[in-house]
Amino acid sequence: MSLNSGSIRTPETKLEKSTVDYRLTIGDHTTTLQCDTRDDNRLTAVADGRQLDAAYTRISPYQLHLRVNGKSARVFAADDPGGKTILIDGVPVTIQDTDALRQRTNGKKAPLSAPTEVTPPMPSVVVRVLVTEGEQVEKGQAVVIVSAMKMETTLTAPFAGTVSRINTAEGDKVAPKQILMDIEKEESS
Amino acid sequence: MFKKILIANRGEIALRIMRTCREMGIATVAVFSDVDRSALHVIHADEAVCLGPADPAESYLHIEKIIAAARSTGAEAVHPGYGFLAENAAFARRCAEDGLVFIGPPADVIQDLGDKTVARQIMIQGGVPVTPGMSQAEPDPAALAEAAGTIGYPVLIKAAAGGGGKGMRVVSAPEDLAEACESASREAAAAFGNGAIYLEKYLQKTRHVEVQILADQHGNVIHLLERECSIQRRHQKIIEETPSPALTPELREAMGQAAVAAARAAGYVNAGTVEFLLDPDDNFYFLEVNTRLQVEHPITEMITGIDLVRHQIEIAAGTPLSLAQKDIAGRGHAIECRIYAEDPEHNFFPSPGKIRFLQEPAGPGIRNDCGVYAGFEVPVEYDPILSKLVVHAETRELAISRMIRALQDYAILGVKTPIGFLIDVLGSEPFSAGDTFTDFIGTHFSDWKPQLPDLDLAAVAYIADELSAAEKSTIPAAATADTVTPWQTLGNWRQ
Repeated sequence: MSLNSGSIRTPETKLEKSTVDYRLTIGDHTTTLQCDTRDDNRLTAVADGRQLDAAYTRISPYQLHLRVNGKSARVFAADDPGGKTILIDGVPVTIQDTDALRQRTNGKKAPLSAPTEVTPPMPSVVVRVLVTEGEQVEKGQAVVIVSAMKMETTLTAPFAGTVSRINTAEGDKVAPKQILMDIEKEESS
Repeated sequence: MFKKILIANRGEIALRIMRTCREMGIATVAVFSDVDRSALHVIHADEAVCLGPADPAESYLHIEKIIAAARSTGAEAVHPGYGFLAENAAFARRCAEDGLVFIGPPADVIQDLGDKTVARQIMIQGGVPVTPGMSQAEPDPAALAEAAGTIGYPVLIKAAAGGGGKGMRVVSAPEDLAEACESASREAAAAFGNGAIYLEKYLQKTRHVEVQILADQHGNVIHLLERECSIQRRHQKIIEETPSPALTPELREAMGQAAVAAARAAGYVNAGTVEFLLDPDDNFYFLEVNTRLQVEHPITEMITGIDLVRHQIEIAAGTPLSLAQKDIAGRGHAIECRIYAEDPEHNFFPSPGKIRFLQEPAGPGIRNDCGVYAGFEVPVEYDPILSKLVVHAETRELAISRMIRALQDYAILGVKTPIGFLIDVLGSEPFSAGDTFTDFIGTHFSDWKPQLPDLDLAAVAYIADELSAAEKSTIPAAATADTVTPWQTLGNWRQ
């Protein structure tokens, strides 16, 4: 028999009380919360003048129980590459820490708002390459068909231009971020 | 009765069949591909046999390997589930040649009805109304273009061997026909091993209403009422219910009789489904017969109280049907939602990956036929269905409320699911009004975006999760991907 000593928590690992500002991006919204945290799983956050008094209990690595201004909520949460997924009442939302986001994007290129590359949205198999090197393509023109989970998806040219290089062939297994085709942008467009 | 049955399928349907087998005292044999080595259906079976690589052609569609698995394990019968080889006449024939009982209709019936064009001819002869269209498959683009012109656009391309929306395309303009046909044919070839396609008139405003039938080897045929499956995306059903809000008792009787007539015309044996399109003037047209257990069969089981798989097995064993038409009555209302690994914000594109957390809804009138668990990696090679959530309640209104509640209680992390979308559909005015036609999602939900939740609550949840992150490692990780589940520690199956 052995006891798991790691399950005994020591109080000095916690903050007694501190104030932290969170700037969170939820969809198109950015919200700033001034947050007082305490060492008894309680916090008080102020957002746009609204005060939120919360108590929280961790149920499992992916599950919390919250009580916010007296109202109870079951919350499921998981950290993903794109932020934290928070699931409440069956509806997921992705939340990013805006400050952390800025640090991460500094020095790297900004997040892409529109696709500029021909790349599959998920691991797939190339079933057809619809263009050849040197071919002129229009914006939105179908260039590659990929198949995943028995469903075909057509990848289109992100802008008008000339196909300078094709980096894939029919039957290839391809993954997101893999550039299947280089297209030289048409200068006049 | 059989002592051992091999289930030639995977995922939730393989499990569902095994459950009935276990209740009947029948041993089960699972088959699996390399990527499904720790899939739930493998863990659930009494024995399991590896078929080989993930590619369906090398595993779940490989007839000889499955026959060999049945022979080596001593299984007496094979249940094909739905999809894969379920409607493959060659497989049914091959089983018969090897002395294995195929739990489904005779091979010739599958062949006739599986070719949608032959099925149309049988129904025309049997006096069952069909939609206008071709009665022969056609590979020649010029001939297809000519036929489309005769039928009149919009036309619907259908795979002669098809089902489940695979290889189906609506074409509104002649210039799009050739590419759509080529793509549909390729998709059909990949899904069914047969790329033959034909054209039907695309009927714009219809409901999809289907009738469940059971037919034994002694000439008894009954129907088990209807299912309405009008809520579809990419021609694939996502919400089904019974009874249909559109059917009067008279229409139900007429469609039930047409389904029985269709079964008799085809010489049908075992469980099957006769699909109809129903127009707003109560005209119905034969669509096809699905010669298998349907994905959405549980809603029929809920309102009739009948275990369809048990009857399938009994019929295959030669037992006369223990039910007569007068024994069949529906009680209450049932709804099914299909929970796929897919992204409802991006045209329901598949979202494979590892299930990190799974908590199923529970409570009165709830059934969740689930084929995955936390820690399971949803493979990219197969249909991304995770589970089928089914509810039963006294009335349609109560069933809708119950389904919304069940969806809200369903937590899946790691892959995207349509749960938020389904909640919005079920809560919508047109759904509540029973205004359910096959164009429902295109009409009412084409640019659906998830409703933002209570932002304050979500933000506090974010902060609380961050603040208590250190506790994650000290709390028993029940039902999460991070611990070894009892499933993973079980072993010793046959390979």
